[in-house]
Amino acid sequence: LIVPLVGADRIMGATILERRTVGEFPEATVRLMQAFASQSVLAIQNARLFREIADKSEQLAQASEHKSQFLANMSHELRTPLNAILGYTELMVDGIYGDLPARAAGVLERVQNNGKHLLALINDVLDLAKIEAGQLSLTLEDYAMPDVVRSVVSATESLANAKGLKFIAEIVPGLPTGHGDARRLSQVLLNLVGNAVKFTDSGEVAIGALAEDGNFVLTVRDTGPGIAPEDQDKIFGEFQQVDNSNTRKKGGTGLGLAISKRMVEMQGGTISVESEVGQGSTFRVVLPIRVEGVPELTAELMGAAQ
Amino acid sequence: MKRILVIEDTEDNRQIVGDLLSSAGYELIEAVDGLEGVATAEREQPDLILMDIQLPGIDGYEATRRIRKIPALARVPIIAVTSYALSGDEAKTREAGCDGYVATPYSPRQLLAKIREYLP
Repeated sequence: LIVPLVGADRIMGATILERRTVGEFPEATVRLMQAFASQSVLAIQNARLFREIADKSEQLAQASEHKSQFLANMSHELRTPLNAILGYTELMVDGIYGDLPARAAGVLERVQNNGKHLLALINDVLDLAKIEAGQLSLTLEDYAMPDVVRSVVSATESLANAKGLKFIAEIVPGLPTGHGDARRLSQVLLNLVGNAVKFTDSGEVAIGALAEDGNFVLTVRDTGPGIAPEDQDKIFGEFQQVDNSNTRKKGGTGLGLAISKRMVEMQGGTISVESEVGQGSTFRVVLPIRVEGVPELTAELMGAAQ
Repeated sequence: MKRILVIEDTEDNRQIVGDLLSSAGYELIEAVDGLEGVATAEREQPDLILMDIQLPGIDGYEATRRIRKIPALARVPIIAVTSYALSGDEAKTREAGCDGYVATPYSPRQLLAKIREYLP
């Protein structure tokens, strides 16, 4: 008796059963053999599938390792020449190579500003690349939200004062201790408050923190120009300031909100904006008070597979 | 005059640091890789060391560990100057025995301020 092992698209093999006496096999035996054959097909397919998955995940791990090394190298290779450009420029501005004619000093200042802008771009692009590659790992630890907010306030207050803006921090008393990546959270808040100060010419910037349903709710409200409804999704994309001609005037890399969105989402939170043209904008970050396990492996595999 | 050893393989960076330090009244000693850096440190006994991390041969971490094993240099201030500005790098330089950390691109003014923390 020969029973073929029939796979989805081809015959994978056969089971052969022999006996010493002449005559047909009993039907029960044939059925048993057929059942055995179909189970064998499944077993073989599963074994192949498992091996394929094992190979694939090893490839992904390698690709991920390569990406990580590539990013580290690129970071070094991009910064080294920029270091020379910014370094020499600053020494010249500081007069270490002698006094400069006023026009040359003015041009040097432009070189310096462009160099700094390029550096900010490189940092942001590398951050984004790290996130996309699943290489940006979170450092989860306990933190006090009021400390985070205050550090952001002290970093941005002087900018707001210089523009004559009123700066308000509303931290609800008795907030619970948070658990998450406080440094990334500060980065997000700095970006939001920095934007608010940058785009607001008069009025106020308010930063608020409260706790609700197991989440921190952080708001950054400004009395700036506001954002039209059709632009409100776009601003979280890469290189998408509402008015690109503004980029030069207002500075910034156009990557801040894209990075902020990813950093918040990595911690299981959301970021959104409410705004009306002429009425200012309110950015809202909702973040779990306790950020627990992060699906790091998934992110890595997804990153490597792209 | 306080003497500063700069261990740095990139010529431009050596010149920038050199121009900065000589204008600020320090004497400069140079080494272009890790091994030369360790040997120069032992011979010259500088007052402070600026240590690049990515160096040919032995890297800045290893050079720092070796310098720390030289009794006379166990406490000389070592400032790591590195473009490995990724999270965890600063901790790694401290583990290797560096006292301070400056990420490139740095502002020469900031670097000088950092040096003055250790050489008032």
